[in-house]
Amino acid sequence: MLQRDRIPLQLIFLQVALVVTWCFTDMETGPGASVSTQPNGDRFKIEGRAIVPGIKTQDWVSTARVLVEGEEYVGFLRTDGSFAVNDVPSGSYVVEVVTPTYRFEAVRVDITTKGKMRARLVNYIKTSEVIRQPYPLQIRASGPHSYFMKRETWGWTDFLMNPMVMMMVLPLLIIVLLPKVVNTNDPEMRKEMEQSMNMLNPNPELPDVSELMTKLFSGSKGSSKAGSSSKGTRPAAKRRKQLPSSNLDAENGKFC
Amino acid sequence: MAKLILLWLKCVIFWATIEAVFEDQVGKFDWRQQYVGKVRFSHFDTHVQSSKKVLVATERNVFAALNTRTGELFWRHVDKSGSEGNIDALLQHGQDAVLMVGNGRLLRSWEISVGGLNWEVVLDSGSFQSACLVGQQDMVKHVAVLKKTAISVHYLSNGHQKWIENLPETETVDYQAVYSDGNGEVYVLGVVPHSHIAIVVYSLEDGEIIKQMSVEAPWLSNIQASCVVVGQGMLTCVDSAAMSFYMLDLRLQLQMTQVPLQAYSVNLFSAETGRRLLDTTLIDFYSVFQLYVQAFLKKDDSVGYRAMVQTEDHTLTFIQQPGRVMWTREEALSDVVTMEMVDLPLTGTQAELEGEFGKKADGLMSMVMKRLSSQLILLQAWIAHLWKLFYDARKPRSQVKNDITIENLSRDEFNLQKMMVMVTASGKLFGIDSKTGGILWRHYLDNVPPNAAFKLMVQRTTAHFPHPPQCTLLIKDKDTGLATLHVFNPIFGKKSHVTPPALPQPVLQSLMLPLMDQDYAKVLLLIDDHYKVSAFPSTKNVLQQLQEMAASIFFYLVDSSQGRLSGYRLRTDLSTEQIWEVVIPPEVQRIVSVKGKRPNEHVHSQGRVMGDRSVLYKYLNPNLLAVVTESTDLHQERSFIGILLIDGVTGRIIHEAVQRKARGPVHVVHSENWVVYEYWSTKSRRNEFSVIELYEGMELYNSTVFSSLDRPHAPQVLQQSYIFPSSISTMEATLTEKGITSRHLLIGLPSGGILSLPKMFLDPRRPEIVSEQSREENLIPYAPELLIRTEWFINYNQTVSRVRGIYTAPSGLESTCLVVAYGLDIYQTRVYPSKQFDVLKDDYDYMLISSVLFALFFATMISKRLAEVKLLNRAWR
Repeated sequence: MLQRDRIPLQLIFLQVALVVTWCFTDMETGPGASVSTQPNGDRFKIEGRAIVPGIKTQDWVSTARVLVEGEEYVGFLRTDGSFAVNDVPSGSYVVEVVTPTYRFEAVRVDITTKGKMRARLVNYIKTSEVIRQPYPLQIRASGPHSYFMKRETWGWTDFLMNPMVMMMVLPLLIIVLLPKVVNTNDPEMRKEMEQSMNMLNPNPELPDVSELMTKLFSGSKGSSKAGSSSKGTRPAAKRRKQLPSSNLDAENGKFC
Repeated sequence: MAKLILLWLKCVIFWATIEAVFEDQVGKFDWRQQYVGKVRFSHFDTHVQSSKKVLVATERNVFAALNTRTGELFWRHVDKSGSEGNIDALLQHGQDAVLMVGNGRLLRSWEISVGGLNWEVVLDSGSFQSACLVGQQDMVKHVAVLKKTAISVHYLSNGHQKWIENLPETETVDYQAVYSDGNGEVYVLGVVPHSHIAIVVYSLEDGEIIKQMSVEAPWLSNIQASCVVVGQGMLTCVDSAAMSFYMLDLRLQLQMTQVPLQAYSVNLFSAETGRRLLDTTLIDFYSVFQLYVQAFLKKDDSVGYRAMVQTEDHTLTFIQQPGRVMWTREEALSDVVTMEMVDLPLTGTQAELEGEFGKKADGLMSMVMKRLSSQLILLQAWIAHLWKLFYDARKPRSQVKNDITIENLSRDEFNLQKMMVMVTASGKLFGIDSKTGGILWRHYLDNVPPNAAFKLMVQRTTAHFPHPPQCTLLIKDKDTGLATLHVFNPIFGKKSHVTPPALPQPVLQSLMLPLMDQDYAKVLLLIDDHYKVSAFPSTKNVLQQLQEMAASIFFYLVDSSQGRLSGYRLRTDLSTEQIWEVVIPPEVQRIVSVKGKRPNEHVHSQGRVMGDRSVLYKYLNPNLLAVVTESTDLHQERSFIGILLIDGVTGRIIHEAVQRKARGPVHVVHSENWVVYEYWSTKSRRNEFSVIELYEGMELYNSTVFSSLDRPHAPQVLQQSYIFPSSISTMEATLTEKGITSRHLLIGLPSGGILSLPKMFLDPRRPEIVSEQSREENLIPYAPELLIRTEWFINYNQTVSRVRGIYTAPSGLESTCLVVAYGLDIYQTRVYPSKQFDVLKDDYDYMLISSVLFALFFATMISKRLAEVKLLNRAWR
């Protein structure tokens, strides 16, 4: 009796060994060899290795875990960076190596009911698309996680490239340079410019703020502005006449 | 055009990503505490003299190494929760620790100095009984694993099986223990209850049975509970009924020798030294659960000891020789069930000022005097504060300590510091300062049933000085439904002098009313299984108010086993009347969760401004319930989840949605006018988010007040779904004081990150084709996949294992929301969903602003002078 029980157990071990070594070469396993002792169907093992280039494995394996489909199955990393997630039934799973410091790409692993494995890129949109990945998995870290935003530092280039500054400088250049380059008196050119101005106005349905403002203030204020400007010129003229004396006063004041 | 859209999209995303942590903010207002759970097995790492490690394996399926000097973690491995990750045994040899996991399914060996895995092997199924290390001539090379029907021996170096043997007579003998004495023999001890002990000795080399024997022991029923092997193969058993003590030498087959005992206690088993320490240091502790003692020889050849004590309230205390407590860990906090944040009280001086307004006025002169005196006190406090600032400034920074104790607790300017009241599954309550994470008070409730459900409610906040704040904890036994109330002060943790009512009947539902009694305590209504309502506090004033308000008090009950959702109304005599009922056939689907809105939530804007400047009004029904159902059929083609939006007052079904080929676990957030839920799509094998938004339309029916009874128009329902590239553990929405700040969803991921996802990504109005109007509205074009950006992790690399819940609380600043994530770890931080718009950012460039100001000032001075000179020159011309 003892001997008879021993045989299937050894068979399972043989089979496990087969899965381990030849799982990718499509080995046909003996029928029913493992089903006899495992009531809840075949369980398989997802294997692979995670690599962080340039970092010793001892420094990061203790914080790493292998998550299969969220936390449904959990595996741990060996001290050499390899891992195996045991007891996974057949199906399709997203396998990811999770550490707080390094970023690893997730891989989708498909396991058939016979234990055939394949790994492919995760594509959530086209779920049936197959881009093969090596199996046993070789997962390379694509660098450390970037958790932080950079503080804005102040420099001269930032100041110059600032949109506000650009907006101030560019029109200035245009005002200064454009009349010298383009002949504004040309009627064709004028038409073209008008057209381009219309293009700039984005939404004809929306009330334009500047238009609204001009409408609001166009009545009395416009005339008063004109009045003030004319007023402004007159004292200037007056001043011009009085200037010598007043400036002398100022000079006297300063010298006293 | 496409380029333009892309550019604009980039802009939007950029704008949204600005909400992230800056590197210099690390640890400034956030903290994390890591726990392991209640210890099941523990080993001191003794193979190196100077080792500071103690290994612990816990009931939360965590295997960790603690620092014996500080109690901090060296490393920690969190396995799958549930029985599959359950740790059955922990053995240690040298650098290796061998763990039996999942009822004898996996055998793991860990390298303890690094915390990496050596090997892991799968064992055959079978109920695990015991395991031990097997040595041969002082070399330990094997591990023996005893299962119900078989024994196997594995190599310690690689986990490979050396041999496996079936046990004889498994029908009658219950094998429970395995022992090896280091001579190449493996002893398996089994018991036939109330008859004899069966001992089978195997040879280590090939698994042959060397000998089999049985010893009479009619009093023994369980070896594991009452026996232990000490010394060189001496089996020692205790018979508590006969008050005696049996010994058996396993190598010499003998009768059991009986040693009668006069009287004994638990202390007798621990070493003499251990008892002494119990007497000296553990007086005020709760009853001791487990004790791990390590004795060692000191340099001067005297015996020293270290002990780790686990008490009933899951506190882990480490004691060094002269009874000195090195550290304590509150492992109860690894299992927080529910929590609340309570505002801290005002300081004494502020309270004095407040008290001035509360008291009855007595004459003009005395009022003036009182005001003057309180102003004087304020001035005094201010001067004292200034003096302290000056005094501290002179000291080096490291010496300045800002220890928060219960005495100097006070509210800060922006109410950012609060008291976190945490309720743990073990029945221990904690009061934690949210700024530092320091535990300010703890209170152990010792009569909590093991499967209790907790509900914590704040009955009175700190706003009603001089009345103390008051919290009520409803503890309900899930089996019997019987409940008890624990009323306490959330700031000091002291039990309140208010006696809660005894609840003889099982409680079905509890609800807090916005009503207050004359002492400003909110009224708690409890509905028992006869649909009778009792109020707490139940003073005359309260009952009178209840009678007046009865017509407008409605509540609902959920019976998930029968799939029944029913609504009730309160009558004036405090009896109830059923007004609606919705039955969801339990054969087809079962109710998983029912979510209402949070009562302290504010919605600032009633509607959304559309691209054409019209307003789309939100459907803001405070009584709306989101009911989630899952199909009982779990086949991947036929499973579905359903979501029902029901008005809790009228029972009217506002909306119903069914997601085919989907299954749970479903996580739901219900807030404002939207419901966000996440599920697993079995068809495409991915997690998906779906958002439902409800709108009244372009006109508001009754803009002043919302009444469930008077809303003739059904709301417009918009829904959109997205792919989410990870499964999630829990989900919550941010909450701010006035609801002006945009909302974010806080999503706890299994990787330990907490993602802050802007709600604008989950907006059913996201257009597929960009139009002028949608651009005007700032809508992001629809993209099927939501992104997880690590910049959006609010906890950067401070991962939170097994996030169970996220608690959000508003602070005094509108921009700021306080967040606590709890699970195995506790993490507290602040988030700014719309950036810090109401305070100056901490990187605000004072230098730049002041230098620009000065520069401008000097420029005007100089130009003025120049203008003067110029004018003068012109005048002289």
